[in-house]
Formats: sequence, structure tokens, C-alpha cells
Amino acid sequence: MFLRLIADSFGRRAQRKLLTGAALALGMTVATAALSVSLDVGDRLGREFRSLGANLVVTPQADSLPLEIAGIDYRPANAGAYLPEADVHKIKTIFWHNNIMGFAPVLEVPVEAWSQASKTWLTPAVAGQAMLIGTWAEHSVPLADGGQFVTGVEKTNPWWHVDGKWFAENSEECVVGALFAQKNGIKPGDELHVSAGNHAYWKTLKVMGVLSSGGSEDEAVIAPLEISQELAQKQGQYRQMYVSALTKPEDNFGRRNPEGMTPAELERWSCTPYVSSIAYQIKQVLPGADVRVIRRIAEGEGAILVRVRLLFWLVTAATLLAAALAIGASSAASVIERRTEIALMKALGAGSGTVGFLLAAEQLLLAVVGGGLGYALGILLARVVGERIFGAAPHPSLLVFASILGLAAIITLLGSAIPLRRAARYEPAPILRGE
Amino acid sequence: MPDRKMFWRIIRRLLGANRGRVFVILLALGAGAAVTAALLNLQVDAKRRLTTEFRAFGANVVVAPKSTADSAPQARTLPETDYDKVPTILITMGGKSALLFSIGEIRSFGSTRPIPAVVVGAREEGWTSERFGLIQEVSDYVSRDEMNCFVGSKVAAQAGVHAGDRLFLREEESELTCHITAVEGPGSENDSNVVVSLPVAQRLTGLDGRISLIRVSFPGTPAQINNFIASLAQRLPDADVQGIRQFTQAEARIYNRISGLLSATVAIVLLLTGLSVMAAMTNVAMERKNDVGLMKAIGGATRRVLRLFLTEAALLGLVGGLIGAAAGILISMGLGKAVFGVAARPRLIVYPVTVALTIIVAIVSSYPLRRLANIRPASVFRGEA
Repeated sequence: MFLRLIADSFGRRAQRKLLTGAALALGMTVATAALSVSLDVGDRLGREFRSLGANLVVTPQADSLPLEIAGIDYRPANAGAYLPEADVHKIKTIFWHNNIMGFAPVLEVPVEAWSQASKTWLTPAVAGQAMLIGTWAEHSVPLADGGQFVTGVEKTNPWWHVDGKWFAENSEECVVGALFAQKNGIKPGDELHVSAGNHAYWKTLKVMGVLSSGGSEDEAVIAPLEISQELAQKQGQYRQMYVSALTKPEDNFGRRNPEGMTPAELERWSCTPYVSSIAYQIKQVLPGADVRVIRRIAEGEGAILVRVRLLFWLVTAATLLAAALAIGASSAASVIERRTEIALMKALGAGSGTVGFLLAAEQLLLAVVGGGLGYALGILLARVVGERIFGAAPHPSLLVFASILGLAAIITLLGSAIPLRRAARYEPAPILRGE
Repeated sequence: MPDRKMFWRIIRRLLGANRGRVFVILLALGAGAAVTAALLNLQVDAKRRLTTEFRAFGANVVVAPKSTADSAPQARTLPETDYDKVPTILITMGGKSALLFSIGEIRSFGSTRPIPAVVVGAREEGWTSERFGLIQEVSDYVSRDEMNCFVGSKVAAQAGVHAGDRLFLREEESELTCHITAVEGPGSENDSNVVVSLPVAQRLTGLDGRISLIRVSFPGTPAQINNFIASLAQRLPDADVQGIRQFTQAEARIYNRISGLLSATVAIVLLLTGLSVMAAMTNVAMERKNDVGLMKAIGGATRRVLRLFLTEAALLGLVGGLIGAAAGILISMGLGKAVFGVAARPRLIVYPVTVALTIIVAIVSSYPLRRLANIRPASVFRGEA
């Protein structure tokens, strides 16, 4: 009898039920889309922030003081300490190795550079002073699981732009800075002769492209790491390494010094991808290295991420509230309009409890159907938004599904509760008389 | 006109007859209006705030001497008067600084071995360096009779000095001592530098009235930053004005993503809020079948009956919109305060726009009443249809 009453109610008032269901589904679509995007936005933006490049820098511990002005180290080539290139791959063995998005070791050598192209009537054979930056362009690093990880300076300095091609690994090729090229009249395809250590070591490099970085690298020559190692006579060594890692914004706990922590705290700290805990882990696998967080990048990123996340959570909350109010209003309306029916049931001897139970069951059924439909539509919507803006759709999450259904049920019940409570006090007679 | 009087009387009765239902409609319309107003207000404000949040990264524009053949750092300088030509930027939004770099020698009080180090002379208004530089050690006092300086953590470790110590600085023939007021924590851009005030560095290097570069932290959208760079380049024809591409490019990217996301969310929320309010309203409108039937039965023309109900809907939309939009603007101010620490400025244009939108939604939602125009009164009263 109970089921028949419900089935009858849906059959008889199909159009109205459809409308209430549509309101529910639409509200839940908004809620699902907003929730899915909000859950995803932190990760996606974290990735976007990597367009800032490296947030960690590895230097030798026993180094002398770098004399760095505007990105150029003025130390003589033999001053200071170096780190072994053979250790670099260990960086992909730390606990948070999946968060390491890219890294590139760097070795700089001051060189004299000369090109056939820069030879003119006025300057027959003048050699220009330049800094040669040896690094990786597209280097494959073997991983522990047998795979390969391709990394290089394009990952750590994504704002660099090369007209032409990058040099190939293990080749005698190079890329020249835009200002350097302009000053010396060099274009891609030319040959560039470089020498270091008072002409003791010579190399002839083929220019593959022109780099514009907007920084001091525009006046330098960029070549494979091996070339600079040979010119500086530092085989298998590098001076600095830039690391770009995906991190979680640091809170007060993240900023604490790991040395003063209890074992339980240390574990929690290392199991959170704070930039400082990643730095700590890299330091443990690279002996003799000092790993520093580039605060300007890391802290700025953290501050902005925290705000944007909060912004989207609040927008989501506002959306949920609006959806709840609209749905609540619609379910309230659907109860109010059935006053006569309620009165009739009561006149026939149904208790307030039975009537309430019947109506609640109807509403719940609507909530599940409408909520489920809204979830499906919302996921589609979140996909469209995610793909449009980040180029990747958020993953559908079970958590969202469960909370959407729960939310739909609670809102419809709450929405119907107030009119139902009033309905319980109805005297059937006046209503049936039409008063 | 008695006709008009009757019209309004019916409207009053319609609204007064069922308080519960009017309340439900107002709730739905008001909620929609509140969200619309809050999001519209917040959207404009959040985008503007976002650009000022990028000040966390510090400078995004740099003014340097034009490139010359000479590569020694001392040989490349700008006149300090160029710094005064850079427009002053509100301290809370960004800032500008003039820096003079040179390589000198430093020595702690107890040591005889000088170490080469970079000495930076700085003059700063507002913030152009990282905002969150951690301080490792601080001296108890600021010296009155000696120069004050602060050093990076690498310098402190190499020279074996602490905050409160004295440090000898030497460059060419000039020499001076300074009192270390603070040691910066690791990871700052001054890790391996000694920072003194600009006049001290100028005296030390003998480069009076010269600076190496100017840094500017300019808040704004990517287009505004480009305009600023262009106008600054015109003001300083002898210097090279450039955006720091690492930051300008990433900022533009992130700004576009976030504002795109915000706009998309707002557009979708508005659309669907409108739709679900409409669905709720339609449900209510269907209920009017009996009323329409009765009016037609006693001779009401279809158009007049419709006009009656549309007026009712418009009135409800007006009231719901007025209340909801006011609530929404208050909500957005609170949200702005929670996220950015500053209450979002209420935009007056949002208010009429939201109220108008709400009225439109209310009227459009009564559209199903149109179908009631061709119902036959008799079948309604028989309880059919």
C-alpha cells in the first residue's frame, strides 16, 4: 500500500515531480561542478606555479662565498668546491620523487669566444669575453624502476625561449644568448670557437639557436654540461643545481626545524611535501651538498596558493548555500501544494507520523534520482571547465558523489520539514471544505 | 480608475492569501539574487586583489644600464637620479629599490684573513625583495655611531660573524666597519651578500650618485605591467627597462588561469542558479491553475489574467532581488575580508543589475502560466487536467 501510494503520487503528478527533480538536479549540478573544481584547484595551480621554475638550489657545502651579481658568478674558475654529476640521479630516489618536476646541474666557465661571423674589416680576429653555461637541455636520467626521466634547463627555467633548437646532449653544439648574438653578429648555423684557461682548451661549437631569457643569460653561451666540464677541466662535476618541485604551502609546522622534532613529528613532517622537507630529503641523498629553498619563489607561491584556495572554497560554499536554498524552497513548495491530500489522508485516519513518513520517502526518492543526475551533469561540467582552463579534467571523486547525495537528501528533507510540521497541525475539516 | 484599483486589490489578495507560499518564492528568488550579487561583486574585486597578491614575489620590473662591452660590474652604472624618475608605488601594493653591487673584501674583528664578498648598497621604498625573508639572528640594538649592515647566512658562516659583531669592509683604498644588525636566514637572495645603505656603498666604491640597477615591484594585470614598462622606458631613455620574465610570465599565466576559473565558475553558477530558481518558481506557478480557472469562469480576459500574474511575479522578483542583492553584497564583503584581509569594495552597479536579473528570472519562470491561457475553466473545476 505504501509503495503504491508513492508510485501513484509520481504517476499522477509526473510533471510537478519532474520540475522539483529538475530544480534538484540543477542545484546539484552546480554543487558537484564547484566541489570537483575546488578539490582539484590546489594541485592544478601548484603545477601552474612551476612556470616560475626552480624553487630549490643545490650547492656544495664546502664552497667559498659565491661572488654572484645579477646571476653571474665572478669567482675565478678554480675557486670554490664542486659536486659530482654521478650522484645527481639520486634526487629521483627520495620519498617525494614524484614531486620533483625537473632539475638541471650547471657549471659556468668564463671563455673567450670568436666566430667567423663576427670577423669584419674592423674586427678581424677579436675574441669576445663571455660566460659559457654548461647544463642539460634534454637529459635522460635513469630511474630506479628502469624508466627514464627527461629533464633539463627548460624545466627549471621555463621562461627561457629559444629561437631555433636546443643543443643535443653529448654534442658539440650550443645556444647563444640574444644580446651576445646581436653584438657578435652570430646566427644559428654558424660556428663558434671558444677557449678557456688562457687558450689551453679549445672547442668549436655549432650554434643551434638563440636564447632570450630577459636576464644575464642573454649575454652568455649555453652548451652541454660536458663541454663546460672539459673547458674548466672539471670532468664529471658541477657547481650548482636547480630543482623544481611540487610542494604544499608551508604552515607553521612546516617551517619548524626538523632537528628539534620528536620521531612522530619528524615522520609527519617528512611525509608532507613541504618545500623544506623536500630540501631536507635531497640533502640526505646528495653527500656534501647544501640544499636551499629559494624563499622568494617558495614563499610567494605558498602565500598566493593559500589565498586562491580559500577563495575557491568560499565561492563553493556560497554556491552550495544557494543550491540548498533553491532546492529547499522547491521541496517546501511541493509539500505546501499537497495540503488537501494530506488533509484527506488524515481524515481517513492516517497519523501525522505516517503522512510525514510517506512524504519524506517521496522526497528522498527524488533526492537520490535528482542528486545522481545532477552529479553526472556536474562532472561533465567540471570536465569542460577543467579542460578549458587547465587543459586537464579533474578526476571524478567518490567523496564528491557521496557528499552530493547526502546533501541532496538533507536539503530536501529540511526543506519539507517545516511545511510538514505545519501540516501535522492541520485540522482536516476546514481544508477539505476549501477554507 | 476603478479598473486599476481592482487590479491592485487582486494582487494584494494574491500575495496575502498564502503567506507560506510567498515566503518560499521570496526565499528562492532572494537566494539566487544573493549569490548573483556576491559573486559579481567578488569577481571584479578578486581579480584586482590577485594582482596585488603577486607582490609576494617581489620585483617584476628591472631597470639596468644598457649593455656595453665592459663586463666588470663596477663599470655598469646608472645615475641615481634615474631612481627618482621612477613613479612612487603605494607601499602596500609594491615598491621600488635602487641597488649598487660591488665586490669587496670582508673580515671579522678577530680574523686577519679577508674574504672576497659581494657588497650591496640598497635604498628601498616599499617592498621589492621577498616579503618573508626569515631572520636568523638579530642584534639587540641598532648602532648610532657606526654604519649598520646585515649579512646573508653564507657570509655569516664563512666569516664567522654573528648579529651584533663588527665587520670590516674594504674596497680598493677605502675601508670602514659596520655593526651587523641581523643575519638573514638561508634561502634569501642575499645569502652571500653584505647589505649596507646606498650612500655607504657609494662611498666605499667611490661611485658617488651611481647605482647598478633599479628594481620595481609593480602591481597590475599583465597588460598594465606592459604599459608601465613602456612608459618607464620612455622616461629613462638611457637605461634598459625590462620585465623580469620569470615573474611577469608566470604571473600572467597564473592570473589568466585564476581569473578564467573565477569567471567560468561565476557564469555557471549564475546560469544554474537562475535555472533552479526558475524550476522552483514554475512549480509554484502551476499551482495557480485554480485561480486562473476561476477568473476565466467569471469573465476575465486571458490577457488581463496573465498580466495580473506577471505583475505578481515581477513584484516578488523586485522584493526578492532587493533583499537578496543587499545580502549578497554584504556576503561578498565578508568573503573578501576572509580571503584577502580587506573587505571587497561594494560596487553600486552590481545592485541594480542583480535586481533586474532577479525580476527577469521571476517573470520568465511564470512562463508556464501561458499554457494556462488555453485551459478550460470547467475541466479545472471538475478536478481534471
